[in-house]
Amino acid sequence: MKYCEECHKAAASVFLKLAVNNKVTETHLCPACAAKKGMGLGLETGAFNISDIVGNMSGYFKDFLPPERRTLRCGSCGLKYSEFKESGRLGCPGCYASFESQLTELMTRIHGAAHHSGRAYAGGAALKFSKAEAGRRLEELRAELKAAVDREDFEGAARLRDAMKSLEARRG
Amino acid sequence: MAEGIKAFRPHVTWANARGAWPDMIFSTRVRFARNLEGFPFPNRAEPRQLAEIRRLALAAAKATGLFTRGHFIKTEALGQLEKRFLVERHHISHALAASVLPSGAAVSNDEDLSAMVNEEDHLRLQCLCSGFAIEDAFRSALKLDEALGRELPFAYGGKFGFLTACPTNTGTGMRVSCLAHLPALSRLGRMPQVLENLSHLGVTARGIYGEGTCVLGDFYQISNATCLGRTEEEFCHNIDRVIRNLIRQEIAAREELLKGPLRLRTEDAVFRALGLLKHARRLSYEEFMQNVSLARMGAAMGWNMGVDFSTFNQATLLMQPAHIQAAAGKPLDAEARDVFRAEYLRKKLA
Repeated sequence: MKYCEECHKAAASVFLKLAVNNKVTETHLCPACAAKKGMGLGLETGAFNISDIVGNMSGYFKDFLPPERRTLRCGSCGLKYSEFKESGRLGCPGCYASFESQLTELMTRIHGAAHHSGRAYAGGAALKFSKAEAGRRLEELRAELKAAVDREDFEGAARLRDAMKSLEARRG
Repeated sequence: MAEGIKAFRPHVTWANARGAWPDMIFSTRVRFARNLEGFPFPNRAEPRQLAEIRRLALAAAKATGLFTRGHFIKTEALGQLEKRFLVERHHISHALAASVLPSGAAVSNDEDLSAMVNEEDHLRLQCLCSGFAIEDAFRSALKLDEALGRELPFAYGGKFGFLTACPTNTGTGMRVSCLAHLPALSRLGRMPQVLENLSHLGVTARGIYGEGTCVLGDFYQISNATCLGRTEEEFCHNIDRVIRNLIRQEIAAREELLKGPLRLRTEDAVFRALGLLKHARRLSYEEFMQNVSLARMGAAMGWNMGVDFSTFNQATLLMQPAHIQAAAGKPLDAEARDVFRAEYLRKKLA
């Protein structure tokens, strides 16, 4: 007997096969879970309406399909998760925090583990930027500071001011 | 030929046939993939950011003191031939040679240590040693990693470890590889089975120049397939075990080649190869590699070839296309290279 892939308790009697971009997904659910997902299938009541079904299904698949449907983006570099899936390359160190749960799963598949057990790293000296690079970074921070003040995010503004101070101190 | 590669000596220490089992393990390499905190990875960085990363990386490499009298290279300033020369020396990759963006490398005076900048990751730190020398290569590469890691802030997260552009390198960022020469296993047709067995042991086998390159002269690069979830020492230990097992298999295969009617055939093949290497008037790199593979095995078996083993070793480095042109002092087309190679080799083997 196949169990429901949602609750893992009841027997699955609703079988759904969907082809999206040549990728076929198969889902087995029990009637209760199918109903919760909006697939109580009007068939039983006779109220069959194809657009309802398709509409309900897309609601369900928002959770089910790989997450790029929700345009997951890295907060640091703006890389879309879908772009990563396409190229296999992450955009910046920040992507690891932005896509943590997806990457945890991926790491397990690639390496058979998702946690680093090797050497710990205590950190290195702060970067001594060139004048041009420090100038550009100060410009960016200044713009962010202005935006923070405008939306009355004073905590954020204080943080940005500290970042600017430390950047100015390190300016080559 | 620009000054850039004239500064490189013709011989390198990692091809001098020292270390353990040099007849079966040509060289051992340990590399670490590292990135700087605060910059996008190279594939997403602007050219000006790449230039800044290179400036910071090369300055930091200099500050470690490990590259005294070494070479500091800006890749896009080099011509095709010079880049090819550095690829043949394993200082830069094919991908870096093809890049037109700001990238580069620092190479130590002995050419055993190098730091490649702005390839797939901001930094690829490596140590190359002659023979089977995992422990030595690991210690030296780690010393470089730790020294640079003090000069620069590496991208590191407690959970995933060292953060890299491709998730296959995340964690330790470490790849341990041995360039194994397996002519007897190849001759006996055992390599498909050997490679199949290796794939179940968490290791990968590649061609002589790394990822996506073909197998030449029975040389296989064997390295760890994963680098997260275990310590650096555990990954080293696994490769060590796999390589020792591979050496045992190659020794057994070489013994088989010396038994019964196979012995004469083996001798015949080895001395024919030697004859070809010594007397050819035109010699392509592929033909050289096929034949030097057998001659190298003959020398390792202690047969009187009139040429010592390390000469064959250095020759595999010097006969490569860009090295031939460096020796000629000018660019040569394929036909001219083959003629020059044959003559150059005759002198080396005389």
